[in-house]
Amino acid sequence: MTAKESTPVQVGAAAVPYGHAIGSEKWRGSALAQQLQGKIKLVFEENLGLVDFHLPNRICILYVSETDLVSGNGFKRRLVRFRNASNLHGIVITEKTRLSEQYFPPIQKFIVLELGMTLLPVASQSETSQLIIQLVREQSKEHESNPFFHRKRPHLMETSVLQTVQQIPGVGKVKALQLLQQFPNINKLSNASIQQLELVVGRVLAQQIYTFLTQTK
Amino acid sequence: GSKVCLKEKQLPLCILVNTREVSSGPEVISLLKTKHAVKVEVCSLGDCDYIVSNRLAVERRSQLEFANSTNRNKLTERIQHLQSMFERICVVVEKDKVKAGDTSRIFHRTKYYDSMLSSMISAGIRILFSSGQEDTASLLKELALTEHRKNAGILVPTEVTGHKREVLQFYLSIPHVSYVTALTLCHHFDSIKQMTNSSVNEISTRAQVSHKKAEEIYSYVHYVLESQILAGSVNIKEKQ
Repeated sequence: MTAKESTPVQVGAAAVPYGHAIGSEKWRGSALAQQLQGKIKLVFEENLGLVDFHLPNRICILYVSETDLVSGNGFKRRLVRFRNASNLHGIVITEKTRLSEQYFPPIQKFIVLELGMTLLPVASQSETSQLIIQLVREQSKEHESNPFFHRKRPHLMETSVLQTVQQIPGVGKVKALQLLQQFPNINKLSNASIQQLELVVGRVLAQQIYTFLTQTK
Repeated sequence: GSKVCLKEKQLPLCILVNTREVSSGPEVISLLKTKHAVKVEVCSLGDCDYIVSNRLAVERRSQLEFANSTNRNKLTERIQHLQSMFERICVVVEKDKVKAGDTSRIFHRTKYYDSMLSSMISAGIRILFSSGQEDTASLLKELALTEHRKNAGILVPTEVTGHKREVLQFYLSIPHVSYVTALTLCHHFDSIKQMTNSSVNEISTRAQVSHKKAEEIYSYVHYVLESQILAGSVNIKEKQ
């Protein structure tokens, strides 16, 4: 596959090893690149197209500078082209400074809500390097060390069911246990007839429970 | 296009707000009502700041609080709890008001702050940055609007009275069921009996939840209590 100048995203750059980043040739020698080197393995490649850095796990960094923000909507076209050309996870890092601050809210709306990409503001290039290092490190971590990777938290079903039954007006813990002894789950309980309920609780409460579970309005 | 507009006109955008936000974000609430014409329903949402659709919860955090690593456990627990109830989570990081000369409240970007952002992003949590309460209000409105366009908007009545209030409490006691799902169960099922007799697909359609969440609800109402805990009830009887 030949990567032409017009290729928006270089497909091969999607598989980046952990702890590495592929940077666009245009960043070679920059202060940002210097700050990254030593902390992560940075390799430069030509023809990365719209992307500034490729990180592991199909993450792409698109850098939008203060000048880009101030000088109009040109960068928007670049982001839309990226979005249309690939299904990689695009993270836009933008310089939010005193000068560009006023442009931030509409840009955030466009990037996050309309394009569904991630936007992270930074105040300077040194903040950018710190952020990219963390993003790379995050990808090299085991999933278990990310607290937000959904793990099923164990909870006691028994306790919950008991609490749910106690939400029926007039039913406390004792009555709830007695009911569940006869009707072992919520479905069975809600299908019980008044007569069946009366065998467990008094006539008045049986009527009350039956009405609560079956009342339509 | 015109059909959608009509639908939007009939039903105002609706956002559920936690009672706690009345004191911590009063400007957010009043701007949602006045400037953005959003229908705001203040209710006890427990661990959740804002619910903007059937599936999206929004957590509002001050930037200083977010960046302070001593809040790490509290914040992660809260987000994990939201994750157990909602398909989508969005965190709004709101800049703090800084009084002139108060240097203790100036934000310094730390490694912790960046690592927190990185963890959230890689877990699919959306992050928005706000310059203050006014900005937060307009972000909430935009989020609600986007969700509405994706047919996930809150369309059920948010007020509950009488018998329905007790039924709502019943549904809220189901583990990992959010306030908006409990509300939808309340309005889209004629009775609790009808709900517990429904199939997974019926629950998914009527409660407007994912298939996975519907399965969770289904297995909960069919969960058979083990004899151990019921044996405990015999003891209680004997004590009486």
